[in-house]
Amino acid sequence: MRRGLPWTALLVALILYPFVDRALGFQTVHAVSDGMIYVLLALGLNIVVGYAGLLDLGYAAFFAIGAYSMGLLNSPVLGSPLYGHPWSFWLCIWLAAAVSALLGVVIGAPTLRVRGDYLAIITLGFGEIIPVAIRNLGDVTVEIGSWRPIERLNLTGGENGVNPVGRPYLPSVPFETDPVPWYFLILIIGAASLWAMNRLRDSRLGRAWMAIREDETAADCTGVNPISTKLLAFALGASFSGFAGSVYAAKLQAITPGAFEFQVSIMLLCMVVLGGAGSLKGVILGGMLITLFDRVVLTQTTFMVRAFGRTTGVTALATADLTLWRWFFFGLGLVLVMLLRPEGLVGRRVRPAPITAADLEDGLEVAPAPRVDAIPAWLRERAQGGVAAATPILDVRGVTKRFGGVIALNEVDLLVPRGAIIGLIGPNGAGKTTLFNVVTGLVRPDGGRMIFDGGSLVGLRPNAIVARGIARTFQSIRLFQNMTVLENVLVGEHCRLAASVPGAVLRPPSVIAEEGRARVRARELLAFVGLGGQEDELARNLPYGDQRRLEIARALATEPRLLLLDEPSAGMNPREAETLTELIGLLRRELALSVLLIEHHMEVVMGISDRITVLDYGTRIAEGTPAAIQRDPRVIEAYLGTGYEQDLAGRESAR
Amino acid sequence: MLELADVHTYYGNIRALRGISLSVAPGEIVTLIGANGAGKTTTLRTILGTVRPRRGTVRFNGQRLDTLTTDRIVRLGIAQSPEGRRIFPRMTVLENLELGAFARRDREAIAPDLERAFTLFPRLRERSAQKGGTLSGGEQQMLAIGRALMARPALLLLDEPSMGLSPILVDAIFRIVQDINRQGTTILLVEQNARMALRVAHRGYVIQTGRIVLHDAAAALLRSDLVRKTYLGEK
Repeated sequence: MRRGLPWTALLVALILYPFVDRALGFQTVHAVSDGMIYVLLALGLNIVVGYAGLLDLGYAAFFAIGAYSMGLLNSPVLGSPLYGHPWSFWLCIWLAAAVSALLGVVIGAPTLRVRGDYLAIITLGFGEIIPVAIRNLGDVTVEIGSWRPIERLNLTGGENGVNPVGRPYLPSVPFETDPVPWYFLILIIGAASLWAMNRLRDSRLGRAWMAIREDETAADCTGVNPISTKLLAFALGASFSGFAGSVYAAKLQAITPGAFEFQVSIMLLCMVVLGGAGSLKGVILGGMLITLFDRVVLTQTTFMVRAFGRTTGVTALATADLTLWRWFFFGLGLVLVMLLRPEGLVGRRVRPAPITAADLEDGLEVAPAPRVDAIPAWLRERAQGGVAAATPILDVRGVTKRFGGVIALNEVDLLVPRGAIIGLIGPNGAGKTTLFNVVTGLVRPDGGRMIFDGGSLVGLRPNAIVARGIARTFQSIRLFQNMTVLENVLVGEHCRLAASVPGAVLRPPSVIAEEGRARVRARELLAFVGLGGQEDELARNLPYGDQRRLEIARALATEPRLLLLDEPSAGMNPREAETLTELIGLLRRELALSVLLIEHHMEVVMGISDRITVLDYGTRIAEGTPAAIQRDPRVIEAYLGTGYEQDLAGRESAR
Repeated sequence: MLELADVHTYYGNIRALRGISLSVAPGEIVTLIGANGAGKTTTLRTILGTVRPRRGTVRFNGQRLDTLTTDRIVRLGIAQSPEGRRIFPRMTVLENLELGAFARRDREAIAPDLERAFTLFPRLRERSAQKGGTLSGGEQQMLAIGRALMARPALLLLDEPSMGLSPILVDAIFRIVQDINRQGTTILLVEQNARMALRVAHRGYVIQTGRIVLHDAAAALLRSDLVRKTYLGEK
C-alpha cells in the first residue's frame, strides 16, 4: 500500500522518541503522553463527527465518564473493592470503555431523531450536564419522609475529585516513578485503536456511517438502518474516550471535574476539524499540532517574550503569559482553516479528478447500450427464485395519505404483477412520488393495505423494506456525493452483508471472503450499467447521466425483486432515454425484475409499460394498457394535453 | 445583445468548454441543445459568472461580463431559472417570488409582475402560502421560472425548464416561453427536449463535448440529419 511507508516511519519515530528525549535531556515524555491521550480522544470523536457526520459538542463528557469509571472502581476514597488489587487497572480500563459505550448509547438514543444544529445543541447540553452532575454527586442524600435510604453517599468526590487513583501493575515495570512506561502504554492503546478504526472505516459499518453522513434518507432507502448505525457511532466513539479517560485518570492519579469542561470538547473538535474530519491521518496531525502548540510553543514563546520584555524594560511583555491566550489562538486557527482549507489539512479534497483525453473526445456523448451478457451471474441466480408465482408481487389497496388538510393520496389501488413493468403517470403534484414514499416506508399511510410478496409493508422502516426486496431511485438524484462510485454500490449491498463490529475489526476469513465477494459484485454491476473503470471516482464528479445510472446500480446491489424508478429519464435526450429504456427492459426480461416507473417521457413509459396507472389530485383516474391510456379523454385532459396527440401524430408521419 | 467569443471553461483539469462562440440578438429565443455533459449548463454558468472562463470573452450589450461577480451580472438584467430548481425550500412560494425581484428598484411595478407570474402558473397562486420545499417537483420548476421572471430580466436564461413536467405542462411551459418572449424578454434556452425547443426558438446551436458543432435557424436544424438522429430520437 502506498500509505504504508509514512505510517511505519511515524511508528518508528514514536518508539524511538523517549530514548532520544532521555539522551538529550528534554524531559517532555510526560507532556507528549498527555498529548497522545488527547489525540486518542480526537480519533474517537472523529468516528462520530468525521465518519457519521453527527456534530457532537459535548464529547468531553465521555472522557469524564471514562476517567470517573476508573476513579470509582479503583480508588480508596470511594471505597472501591477493586483498589489495591494488583490487576485492577487492567480490568477497570475495559469496564470504563464499556460504561462509556453504554452511556454513549443512552445519550445517543434521544438525539437520533434530530439532525445537524439540533443534535449539536443537545450534545452541548449533555456536555454541560456531566461536569455539574459530577460536582454535585459528592454528597447524595435521598429522603422519603423520615426514611433515608441513602445518606451522605459520596459518588464522585464532588469538587475535590478523586485522589488517589490506582496505578497499573506489571511485574518490574516502574509505573510509579518513570514516565516512559506510561508513554508506551498510551502508545500501544493508541496504535491498537488506530488499527481498529482504520479497519472499521473500510468495512460495511464504516461505509454505512459515511452514507448516513452524506444522505440519511437515501441511506435508509438503500438498506442502512440509521438508528443502529448512529448508535454504534456514538457507542464506539465513546468507548475510545473511555480508554483515554481511564488511562488519563490513572496517569494523573487524580481527577477533578474541572478537567472535563466545555473547552475540552471544543479543543478536541478543533483537532478533528483542523486536521480534516474523516481522515485518520488528518486527525492525528491536527491533534499533534494543537497539543504541540498548547504545551510547547505557547510556553516557550512566553519565556522568550518575557526575556525580551526584561531586556527592553517593557513590563507588559516581561509579565506576559501567552498560555492565557490559548483559546484566542485556537479560535483564530479554526477561522483560518475554515477560510483557507475548509476540508482540513489532510481532508479529502473535493475536486474533479483529471479526465483523460479519451474520455473527452467521445466518451461523454452517448452512453453504451446495455448488454445481455454483461448481466452479473449472481444477480441472475437471485432472480430465478421468485418467478412464476401467480400472486402479484405488490398489492396496494385503498392507500390514503393526508398532509394537513391536503389529501395527497386518496384510496389508491395499485397492482404490480411479477415481472411486470407498471407505469405511473399523472400531473405534477398528483401524488406519484408520495405513493413511492409510502411504499418504501418514508411516509406512513393514514389508511390502506400494502402487501409485498405475501407480507404487509405498513409500519416497516425503509431499510427493512429494502431488505424485503424493494429498491428505489430518486427523482432528484440522491447519491452519496463524497463517496466513491464503488462505495456507493457497496452501500447498496449493505443489507446483504453480515459483518459485525468485531468481524470488521478482526477480519476473520469469512469477513474477508464476504468483503471480497461484495467488491467483485459491485464492479460487475458497474460494468453492467456502463460505469466500468470509474470505480474510484467520487460520485459527485460524474456527469448527470452517469449519476442516474449509478443510482440504478446502487438500487440493483440491494438485490431487489421490485424496482421503483422515479423519473429515471428526466434530463436525458431521446437517445439517452432510449438506452435507459433498453436497460429497464433487459432487467425485466433477464432478471424477472418487477418495475414500477414514474415517467414523463411518453416514448419511454408508453414503450415499455405493460399497464399504466394514472393519478390526479391523489386519486386514480385511469388504469389500463398504454394504448387505452393514450386515448382516455380524462388522461388527455388532465395530463397528456392535446399537444401530445399532435406530437404523436407528427412523429408517426415522420417515420 | 449577448456575445460569447471563443470561451474556454475548465473544472480543475477538465475542459468543459473548448471554444464556444455564440450570440443572442435582442428579442430572440435562442436554444442550445446537446447531450448530458456536453457543456450546456457550463455555458450558462459562465455567462452568469458562477464559473470563470480561462480564455475568451462574454459580453452583454458591449460590457464584459467575465470580470464581474454574479450579483452584478444579475443587476445588469440577466436572470436564470437554474437546472435542478434551486428554490428556497423553507420560504413560502410568495416569498420565493418576491425574492426574485430583490435587485429591482421599481417597487411599484412588482405587484403587476407577481400577478403575471400567478396568471402564467395558476398552481403557484393556489399554493402561495405553502413552503417551497413542500411543492412537488414540477411545481418547484414553475416556481423557479416564476422567480426568474420576477427579476424582469432583459435576458432570461432557462436551464431545462421542461424537466420533470407532465406533457400537458411541457406544452404550457413552451407556450409561456413564447409569451414571455413576445412581451419583450430575450431568451437563451437550454433543453433536452430538442423538438419542443426548436419549435419555439428562432435560432439554435448544437453543442458536443464543449464545442458548437452546428448552428442555424431553428426550422433548419429540425430538418438536419444530425439533430434528427441524435437529439430527436428519429431512426
